[in-house]
Amino acid sequence: MYFQKKRCIAMLLAGGQGSRLYVLTEKTAKPAVPFGGKYRIIDFPLSNCVNSGIDTVGILTQYQPLELNEYIGNGQPWNLNKTHSCAQVLPPYERHDKKQGWYKGTANAIYQNIDFIDRFDPEYVVVLSGDHIYKMDYSKMVDYHEKNGAACTIAVRNVPLEEASRFGILNTNPDNTIYEFEEKPKKPKSTNASMGIYCFTWKVMRETLIADEEDPESSNDFGKNIIPRLLNGGHKLMAYNFDGYWKDVGTINSLWEANMELLGKEPAFNIRGDERFKIYARNSAFPSSYIDASAKIVGSFVAEGCEVYGTVRHSVVSVGCTIGEGALIEDSVVMPGVVVESGAIVRHAILGENSKVCRNAVVGGAFEPNEKKKISVAGKGVVIEENAVLAPGAML
Amino acid sequence: MNVMGIIFTNDGNVGELTNKRTMASLPFGGRYRQVDFGLSNLAFAGVRHVGIIARYSYQSLMNHIGDGEEWGLELGEGGLEFLTPYASSVNHSYRGKLESLSSNMDFLEYCDDDYVIMIDSTVLSNIDLNKVVADHIASGKDITVVTAKGICNGKKLMDFALKLDKNGQVEDMVCDYAAPAEYQASMDIFVMSRQVLIREVKTLVAKNWFHMDRDLCMGGWRSGKVTVNAYQFDGIAMFNESVQEYFEHSLSLVDKKVREGLFGGAHPIYTKVRDRVPTYYGENCDIENVVAADGCMLDGTVKNSVLFRQVTISEGSKVENCVIMNDGIIGTGCELKNVILDKNVTVTPGTKLFGTKANPIVIKRGEIV
Repeated sequence: MYFQKKRCIAMLLAGGQGSRLYVLTEKTAKPAVPFGGKYRIIDFPLSNCVNSGIDTVGILTQYQPLELNEYIGNGQPWNLNKTHSCAQVLPPYERHDKKQGWYKGTANAIYQNIDFIDRFDPEYVVVLSGDHIYKMDYSKMVDYHEKNGAACTIAVRNVPLEEASRFGILNTNPDNTIYEFEEKPKKPKSTNASMGIYCFTWKVMRETLIADEEDPESSNDFGKNIIPRLLNGGHKLMAYNFDGYWKDVGTINSLWEANMELLGKEPAFNIRGDERFKIYARNSAFPSSYIDASAKIVGSFVAEGCEVYGTVRHSVVSVGCTIGEGALIEDSVVMPGVVVESGAIVRHAILGENSKVCRNAVVGGAFEPNEKKKISVAGKGVVIEENAVLAPGAML
Repeated sequence: MNVMGIIFTNDGNVGELTNKRTMASLPFGGRYRQVDFGLSNLAFAGVRHVGIIARYSYQSLMNHIGDGEEWGLELGEGGLEFLTPYASSVNHSYRGKLESLSSNMDFLEYCDDDYVIMIDSTVLSNIDLNKVVADHIASGKDITVVTAKGICNGKKLMDFALKLDKNGQVEDMVCDYAAPAEYQASMDIFVMSRQVLIREVKTLVAKNWFHMDRDLCMGGWRSGKVTVNAYQFDGIAMFNESVQEYFEHSLSLVDKKVREGLFGGAHPIYTKVRDRVPTYYGENCDIENVVAADGCMLDGTVKNSVLFRQVTISEGSKVENCVIMNDGIIGTGCELKNVILDKNVTVTPGTKLFGTKANPIVIKRGEIV
């Protein structure tokens, strides 16, 4: 087989369990969680790759990969199925020396796939996470990395000082070179939070991964081990500032918030945005949606294949949902294939895929504008019985 | 048993809407083109060779269908083939389906399938063609014509209609005639064995006969040279043969039974993927009985209408009984009633357009009004 040499390929870390999404990731890997009416989280990094001219993407899967693998398929929705492009799913595998097995950490996952990367003989490797919502042109970051002759460039964003201790913080010199990395520092020295988006010079990365693997003390993690190892080795590390919308959707609240941030006349995240920077998704063959005379929809996204007879306010309703007459959906995320029967009330909730809220059931509640929202969650395929109540913040 | 498919793209008969496109590429139902129905019907019958006979204005059709990927027809072996006039040197202006088949005899002879399903792009349905083929084989007849009840009414001019007896056997046939209600309309779906089709096309075209309905079916049946079986389809069949019918059928999609019949029938209907975002319903919108595709921005009042992809309805506008195709933009304070907007039409703020149910106003593609 012939493998075209690539300037840059991407490795997408999609193996995390996403345990803080609880019932939503019980049977689904986090990157396959639905988002924004017709997308899944992984559509964002994958589309970013394609829109940045990166046509070779290795996708590292481990936790509950069935649905994710099915979804990625041959990469056709993202145009990654052409002669010289690929979306290659890379699960852990048994090696002849039995030395390796499950991916032990983010760096180990890449280490185990050195052979895959070597085939393309790339100059640079971009490492991405499968749980962030954002639009970013990685080619600008790669150019910046190349121009600075760095071994590693890390995308950073400014966070409020009081929140900085929740992130991996990169302390930089005035020329944006990194001199220190601190994971969740108690007393942060700066507000440059790592976005978990890395660009590596493959030659240096390769050596570093091998050295790290030989260190029995290492937990083989990019943030904890690889970055400090590079810094100690005297390599040049750069911070790349990104000020566009970016959201880690690793928790129920952040997933709900990110969906809400799509709404409004001038949304925090304009998913419609630039025609040339589209987010691609695998499409199901749903017909157009039908909005009945009894329906009332305000400030909401409703995707295709829906039948709406009830009231929808400030919500995201995904493909193939039915909202019955007299039902109310407010400040909620309704994932694909959900049925909400007539008279049901759903507020501040996430309804998982193919879940069902039966007649007159009540899910979630109302909150004051400044109050911390307690989001109620119905897991995939869950049925909330007639007249049942799912309290604010409760999960089923 | 292998089955191949032929799709006829049909000349336009829907006024302005098909001046520059074939019936096959006429947009329908918010996100489809007419050809999607025939293609999906064939794809779900497991057909592995599909020839699309296109005569003219087929650029938009080729763009839409591409290599047939969306219908699972992008096959290494076989798959989808565009049969354009350039592919043959014999006859560029087909007078009828038999002539167009004759011009593409190479394709018919090259495919090694046992049966051929021929389907056109004017009549929309969601039909299980496997059942039709099985019925054809069981009948032992030469041709199976798929028919629909409730279309003939003594007024509508029918291309081809059949009268069946109590046992479903053909009793009479008429062409280009306002057949009375006891006749069933031909849905322009035919099944034949490939060998019989090749034989009939060759002998009929040699005698300067070219008309599928009149010469092959009716002529052959009357002279006893071919036997004809009728398969009575009891689902929804939409004959979009005029602007009025197209308009009426489009708006009938607000009826749940119609939507279920057309989209929830034997299988889904596939179409080209456009990767639009979901439709956004703004703070001021009032939407009643509307079929809406993806990518729309709705902030006005819309009633009893069909909205295609990426339509914008601005605040303070009223749209009623309208079909608005892709990328239509309705400015603020407009009023539209009984209007069909072709693709990419911009209606400037404050414009009022009123057609009637029987005679909707049609605005041409790309116009600014």
